[in-house]
Amino acid sequence: MIGSLNKPNIRRPALVVQCCILHLLRLLYDGTVPHVAAGEETMTRKDLYDPFFEHDSCGVGFVAHVNGTRTHDIVANGITILKNLVHRGAIGGDQKTGDGAGMLTQVPHEFLAAECVKAGFGLPTAGGYGVAMLFLPRAATKRKEAKDIFESAVRDEAGAVLGWRDVPVRPDCLGDMAAASMPFVTQAFVTFEGASGPGLERKLYVARKCIERQAASAGMSMDDLYVASFSGATLNYKGMFVAPQFDAFYPDLLDPKFTSAIALVHQRYSTNTFPSWCLAQPFRYCAHNGEINTLRGNINKMNAREATLSSALFGQDIKKLFPVIAAGGSDSAMFDNVYELLVMGGRSLEHSMMMMIPEAFGPRYHISEDKRAFYEYHAAILEPWDGPASFSFTDGTIVGAALDRNGLRPARYVITRSGLVVLASEIGVLDIPANDVLEKGRLAPGKMILVDTAHNRVVFDNEIKASVSRRKPYRRWLEKNKIELKGLFGVPGPVRIERDTLLTNEKVFGYTLEDLDMIIAPMAENAQEPVGSMGNDEALAVLSERPQVLFNYFKQLFAQVTNPPIDPYRENLVMSLMSFVGRESNLLDESEQHCRQLKLSHPILSNDDLNKLRNMNVGGFRSCVQPILFEPSTRSLNAALDAVAADVEKKVEDGCSLIILSDRGVDETHVPIPSLLAVSAVHQHLVRVGKRQLTGIVIETGEAREVMHFACLMGFGASAINPYLAFEVIADLVERKSLQSDLTLEAAIENYITAVKKGLLKIMSKMGVSTIRSYKGAQIFEAVGLGEELIDRYFPGTPSRIGGIGVSEIVAESNARHSAAFGSNAGPQGLESGGKYRYREFSEKHLLSPVAVALLQKATRENDPAVFAQYSAHVNNVSANLCTLRGLFSFKKAADVPLDDVEPVESIVKRFVTSAMSFGSISKDAHETLAIAMNRLGAASNSGEGGEDEERYVPLANGDSLKSAIKQVASARFGVTSNYLVNSRELQIKMAQGAKPGEGGQLPGNKVDKTIAKVRHSTPGVMLISPPPHHDIYSIEDLAQLIFDLKNANRGARISVKLVAEAGVGTVAAGVAKGRADMVLISGHDGGTGASPLSSIKHAGIPWEIGLAETQQVLVRNRLRGFIRVQCDGQMKTGRDVVIAALLGAEEFGFGTAAVVTLGCIMMRKCHLNTCPVGVATQDPALRKRFTGKPEYVINFMRFVAQEVRQYMAQLGFKTMDEMIGRSDLIEVNGAVSHWKTRGLDFSRVLAPPQLDAGQPLRCVSKQVHDFSNSLDVSIIEQAKVSIEDKKPVSLAMPIRNRNRTVGAMLSAEISKRYGSAGLPANTIKVKFTGAAGQSFGAFLTRGVTLELEGDANDYVGKGLCGGTIIMYPPRDANYRAHNNIVTGNVNLFGATGGEMYVHGMAGERFAVRNSGAVAVVEGLGDHGCEYMTGGTVVVLGKTGVNFAAGMSGGIAYVLDENQLFDTRCNLEMVDLEPVVQEEDKKSLHSLIANHVRYTQSPYASQILDDWSEMLPRFVKVMPIDYRSALERIRKDQSRETEVVPITEEVY
Amino acid sequence: MGKVTGFFDYPRRAFAYRPVGERVNDYKELIIPQSGPEITTQAARCMDCGIPFCQAMGCPVYNLIPEWNDLVYKGNWQEAYERLEMTNNLPEITGRICPAPCETSCTLSINSSPVTIKQIELAIIENAFAQGWVTARPPAAESGRKVAVIGSGPAGISAAQQLRRMGHAVTVFEREDRIGGILRYGIPDFKLEKWVLDRRLEQLIEEGVNFETSVHIGDDLSARYLRRAFDAVLVAMGAGQPRDLTVPGRGLQNIHFAMEYLIQSNKSIAGILGDEKQISAKNRNVLVIGGGDTGSDCVGTARRQGAKKIYQFEIMPKPREWQDSTNPSWPYWPQILRTSSSHEEGCERDWNILTKEFTGTGAGAVEKIRCVRLEWKPSEKGKPPAMVEIPGSEFSLDVDLVLLAMGFLHVTHNRLLDDFKVDYDPRGNIKTSSYGTSVDGVFAAGDADIGASLVVRAIFHGREAAKAIDNYLKNKK
Repeated sequence: MIGSLNKPNIRRPALVVQCCILHLLRLLYDGTVPHVAAGEETMTRKDLYDPFFEHDSCGVGFVAHVNGTRTHDIVANGITILKNLVHRGAIGGDQKTGDGAGMLTQVPHEFLAAECVKAGFGLPTAGGYGVAMLFLPRAATKRKEAKDIFESAVRDEAGAVLGWRDVPVRPDCLGDMAAASMPFVTQAFVTFEGASGPGLERKLYVARKCIERQAASAGMSMDDLYVASFSGATLNYKGMFVAPQFDAFYPDLLDPKFTSAIALVHQRYSTNTFPSWCLAQPFRYCAHNGEINTLRGNINKMNAREATLSSALFGQDIKKLFPVIAAGGSDSAMFDNVYELLVMGGRSLEHSMMMMIPEAFGPRYHISEDKRAFYEYHAAILEPWDGPASFSFTDGTIVGAALDRNGLRPARYVITRSGLVVLASEIGVLDIPANDVLEKGRLAPGKMILVDTAHNRVVFDNEIKASVSRRKPYRRWLEKNKIELKGLFGVPGPVRIERDTLLTNEKVFGYTLEDLDMIIAPMAENAQEPVGSMGNDEALAVLSERPQVLFNYFKQLFAQVTNPPIDPYRENLVMSLMSFVGRESNLLDESEQHCRQLKLSHPILSNDDLNKLRNMNVGGFRSCVQPILFEPSTRSLNAALDAVAADVEKKVEDGCSLIILSDRGVDETHVPIPSLLAVSAVHQHLVRVGKRQLTGIVIETGEAREVMHFACLMGFGASAINPYLAFEVIADLVERKSLQSDLTLEAAIENYITAVKKGLLKIMSKMGVSTIRSYKGAQIFEAVGLGEELIDRYFPGTPSRIGGIGVSEIVAESNARHSAAFGSNAGPQGLESGGKYRYREFSEKHLLSPVAVALLQKATRENDPAVFAQYSAHVNNVSANLCTLRGLFSFKKAADVPLDDVEPVESIVKRFVTSAMSFGSISKDAHETLAIAMNRLGAASNSGEGGEDEERYVPLANGDSLKSAIKQVASARFGVTSNYLVNSRELQIKMAQGAKPGEGGQLPGNKVDKTIAKVRHSTPGVMLISPPPHHDIYSIEDLAQLIFDLKNANRGARISVKLVAEAGVGTVAAGVAKGRADMVLISGHDGGTGASPLSSIKHAGIPWEIGLAETQQVLVRNRLRGFIRVQCDGQMKTGRDVVIAALLGAEEFGFGTAAVVTLGCIMMRKCHLNTCPVGVATQDPALRKRFTGKPEYVINFMRFVAQEVRQYMAQLGFKTMDEMIGRSDLIEVNGAVSHWKTRGLDFSRVLAPPQLDAGQPLRCVSKQVHDFSNSLDVSIIEQAKVSIEDKKPVSLAMPIRNRNRTVGAMLSAEISKRYGSAGLPANTIKVKFTGAAGQSFGAFLTRGVTLELEGDANDYVGKGLCGGTIIMYPPRDANYRAHNNIVTGNVNLFGATGGEMYVHGMAGERFAVRNSGAVAVVEGLGDHGCEYMTGGTVVVLGKTGVNFAAGMSGGIAYVLDENQLFDTRCNLEMVDLEPVVQEEDKKSLHSLIANHVRYTQSPYASQILDDWSEMLPRFVKVMPIDYRSALERIRKDQSRETEVVPITEEVY
Repeated sequence: MGKVTGFFDYPRRAFAYRPVGERVNDYKELIIPQSGPEITTQAARCMDCGIPFCQAMGCPVYNLIPEWNDLVYKGNWQEAYERLEMTNNLPEITGRICPAPCETSCTLSINSSPVTIKQIELAIIENAFAQGWVTARPPAAESGRKVAVIGSGPAGISAAQQLRRMGHAVTVFEREDRIGGILRYGIPDFKLEKWVLDRRLEQLIEEGVNFETSVHIGDDLSARYLRRAFDAVLVAMGAGQPRDLTVPGRGLQNIHFAMEYLIQSNKSIAGILGDEKQISAKNRNVLVIGGGDTGSDCVGTARRQGAKKIYQFEIMPKPREWQDSTNPSWPYWPQILRTSSSHEEGCERDWNILTKEFTGTGAGAVEKIRCVRLEWKPSEKGKPPAMVEIPGSEFSLDVDLVLLAMGFLHVTHNRLLDDFKVDYDPRGNIKTSSYGTSVDGVFAAGDADIGASLVVRAIFHGREAAKAIDNYLKNKK
């Protein structure tokens, strides 16, 4: 709308014939139109989009001949695989441009030789030359320049360019956006005298790095000159395609002479579709499905390491390889860069992969000593590249694949008798006759598989790793060299309380009473982080007039959608706090010396530990102390930091391998440098000068006390922390008897350290990071309110999008604390109250002040607009209550319109929703009152994640409806059944929650009463757990799959996705739009909660103003905005808030806290204690009686807000809300607000108007297109009409393949609509399928439907199963032993609430996670089986993976434990193992197996029944402890009110 | 916080008063202090609210109520005292006489009964005195600045203590013969025994506050002298100007302002005024006009003096009767019928009564009062209701003593203020901005600044004014 109306629209050449287009495009690009990439670059500085946050995920795989035979079939098969993975990719806003696809093959010598002859030159024999696949500019002059660079660089390295071959391409098949940015694709052929094999590869590598460097110095970006591959062994074809466009674009691939024994393929799904051909995969060695979460730290560390790299293989050439990591790449590209260095440096493919993505090797894994030693040794050399990953890799001879330790991405393989190996994200991507199958399997977490075409064998994980681990005596090296201080981490000794300085130190470091009694004391007592509720309405640090510690300006980033958070509670066996500290050696070498470092089992040091380190000097390992104090004046802080950095550098040069930064010694003239500033300044300085890897950084600080502080210090470069003042405070608390009386000081300190460790694991996990080694220095934070200069100098690379304070304000804050501590005698003698977690007059400001609560309640109860006006004036009064960024905004003057012309209140309120609050976190009364109110308004209430009682689907006699229009689908899937899904207008996938993004939750047993248990399909009194991730969303394509599932389950409902604002949320939203969600909700960081860890409430996520603006900008730029609506919530309180959100791009608005305040909530912040005194957030019947809320109050509130919105609209000149959406140009920053810290704030990026092409919408104008063309349900419904309508039985049969996804959901919806959850009589509809089923086979399958599958299935079989039956077995003509082979993929029966499933064969990881009622028999399964199960029965007739029954609080599992080692694989935290002795157990088990035999004809199971008396004793019964007692209690019908349940976080 | 479920587990148990029959015979304190364990139980009822309305909206001095409740519950009395002392210079006084708006704002007042905040406060401070924790805290260093405080009521005392602790030399000037202002002579002993005040004053004296009594500023000391001799002056002399009743017969004998009556009574109890000079209610029919706290104090005093019959008339309507322990106007101060301890001791109350005239005996003493009953008609929104006399409702009553307790208008406009030439606000109070008056270096706090209000608000004012003066002195060269 603004600025770009006149820009010529050049992107519509679709109807012109191909050669003309090329010509035309060339003309355009040679002419006046700037290169897109250059345009992008200038734009990035102006708004919130940052390419750093792009994510991609995908389908990945390879096909290879074990015997190395090169055929064209392999190439063709590769393309077929791509086409069958097309649903795992995505297309862009033009509905045609793919995110990228590609294939890496062996060099097809025969083909190239023939082609080169055509081009006028000949090639040497195979292997004697290298071929470069190049993306060059289409503009001739620029291309010439690029070619010159290429040729001269090759010449300089003593190579010869034999000739060029322009690769034929057919751009007519491309989408507009892809075509516009299409490069000129060409190949160059190069020889190096006499070089071949690895020698040639190294020459080519050096040459390529020289080319890249020279191109960069000539001002060329990756988009101007990109070398897709440059090798004598492999060749890479890729581009911006969806799979079907791939071979159409590159006719080369169709040439029968184009042969290879290996084809490695990749179909990309990117959150963005900004044209980038270079970022399509594969890269030179790898194709990656996943995401590297620790990228920033990995880059920094790699850069720092370059100074010490050396290698005999490269000699002097090593310097030419720098920078190892090329700028502008994606995480996968950068991984490829480092992987290439390791491989070129002489390590094998598999060795290098084991270094970069090590499998978990903690104490709970039974692995060989040598392998454990291998990993530990390498932990001292290279930190993991952490994040979900499925890698396929090849060097042209060996091709392999590996999964990360969490195994969150699928990798299924088939090995055939004829020597073909196919590995892909899904099974069924190639049609392979069943009788040709030798083996079917899946990669387990952390495992690897190789196909060695030179030696004609498939090598499996054990053999690979055993051989790599024994290459060198790693175990001996480690034993001899690693330093483990004796007694380090022993029982903490006594802490001396320095009475003279305790109080002043507390004040200097900004401690408040709250820090003591709400943070430190609970940690010391309970060994876990304190929990709070009701979100965060406190002023942002940069808006607070009170001095803030520097940590408060940082916000934790967290994983949402594109990569899953890890579960730090139930899956902590994959996580590790162990690290090595000290001086690192040359990465490209290995020796004993490499592991001469200090091993820390965790990073929190007691005072004794630190003293030991302080005095350490063993075998060349020496520590030095560096004070970090300054004198109180601005100039001296910069100088002090420079001096500290210089001193540290000198100490490192002098051989100090451990630096201890210390702020001890504060006195009247010495102020501590904020510890985070000191750590980051030193860390960054050492990175810059290439010395970071020579030393460890330990910080001894009085400042660190809450988990966030430790997480920041580690995240910005510290290796270990000694929080001496926190310890002293604990000692003081113990002495003053402020802690539980029986707690000793030692125990209190140990508890505190444990709480910090747990907190660190939790923060790492929500980023998807497993090890502290890669978390260290990974800077997974963004800053809100720190100025550019400060960031650039001390926190480079940290996003900080609105500017803010600088060093002088930090000094002012430090000085304020210091002078309060050393000031006059008149002030208070004790600590200040704090007021962050509990309101205190004269302390931190809160949006919901006592006056605001009182006025809001009065206004809505008495329906008094005048009081409401007082309320909103109070909340909006920026000079008095500056809490939020929007407080700094004002509206530009505009031509007003009469109020009467503005659309009415009635239509505006329809855009309002109440935010998700589960029945469970709030009372039935409150929950239903909200529903009635919103239904009366024609607006929508949100069920939250706790399910919904079906009784509420029936309207009341007075016409009111208790039904929540929005049904939430969250990670625990409580009560998510077909009937639940059908009874909704909107289905909302909750990816994150403002108060605790990236975390799960627990509903304590005492809140689970009979009704809640019924609604959630669980047992009264048994704790309910929500896992941190959705176990069916490990990636963006998984989200697209769930959206598709839900759309099938209710075609009439729109699908929305709830995200929380953070840097990069816009790119995630773009991914969500491409996943065809109808609406995306951007929640602010400050949303309410029933319970969350306090550090999450305060320190994760950012204000919605930034997140919403970013979302709007990215969606508009990607041309996706028109397809998706945007909703916003987070402490919305007034009409002004709504108007600002609308102007920033939201169409709809959510109210949570304000709505419950009208119902009586008074911000007790006690929801987690079940003691809400006004009956809102409690299940206690006595307290619920105190509830006095009425629907009218909520209605009054919504109408008041809408009326205010109208007034603003009139003033801004808008008659309809639609006109207002996205008009950020009408917001300006209120210059009148004066505040000493806000001076540096700069909102230009937030308010940047989008660059628009003509007609491009700023709001949603059309519907998402959902493609059901591959849905089998359409035909099943048609054929089963008589069953659905008249309950007559029907039997059907049909073929199926992996593109046929979500079978059964749509059918079930039809049944649920008619019959509710009762469904049809058993077996009314039977469908037999043959083939490989796509994902979500049998999802939400309801009663009366039986699906039988002969073949294989992919992930998510029986997701949300709610009464139906699924039967699976391998093809009858298969020759392999079914029970040893994988028949079905990962995450089967996730969130099932009922029904049955029988699998003849093995299932993948996470079988029956969150099952609450289904019965299943399976013949073996992967890791994490029955995790979080709360009901149902699972029988496993074979092996399980590790971590079985983690978090299992209900239901029963029977496992056939042949070798009596099951207890080592089971997580025994919540379950007991029992023999199967009780008659009813025996009977139930036998009948389930008998069913299994009957349905699947499993000979294996049949055998078990035949030997029943022999086999029965080998079964164990897995019995959840809580469940058992709950059952007993129910049996005795006892009340459990007297039982004490520990206070813990809960689900909201 | 207190006990998580304390509010649910324990009932409220507030102060008990000595039995009426016993207490009307003396002027000793009415309150019977509760045992330590009971106080602990009562403290356990505190919920440590996310928004403590008691602190943030109820308490005018913003006492850190939840914090000391918790500490009392945990038995950490000394720390409880430390946190109480952070906001309140006179907790032993507010703990006795404050109407406790904190309790009406207590979250438990919504639907239960409030925490007994006032008695916990009293218990904390009395325990602190008993344990010897209340000690002088003289300044660490002298600032060399001098501040005069005019008036020794709660605002003046609080300001003086704070200013002294900041290192300034402080002199408090009091018109009466003893220090304390309203606390000394305005409040009867049965509500506040005077040793309580003396005990606190000892601390101030030890900290080095200089007190000068019986000084009539403006007469004994000139404004000019004060300005010259002191770096700053704080006017904290209360709102001494009573509202008068201008009806025929007002000039008759035995019609007094309430404060006149109470001061004489207090002096008499203190033994510094002969009974012969005292206005006494003994054997008289007493009428108190005005239904507020001062009127109530007159009732209690008259009862103890042996009045024959006591009436209390109020012009406004009878507030709504409310027996429940919840607050119908939560979190605001409710307009409900309050029955004070004095009322319990015997008094006939009536409302909607307008005095028309007094008539006297031949000797010029009041004998009868003629009144009329009123009706209050609601008027248009935003305006106060209109008063209408009910025709034919006139009546008269025999009275021997009439006490006018109809509130206070504003600070007494005396010579000092005239000499300072301070500006007044439209209501006649001293006009201030952040406690500074229109005259440089002259500050005002408490009732003199905002009109008659609570003791606890005066304390807050005193403390804040001290801060303002300290800032002023820091910036003054």
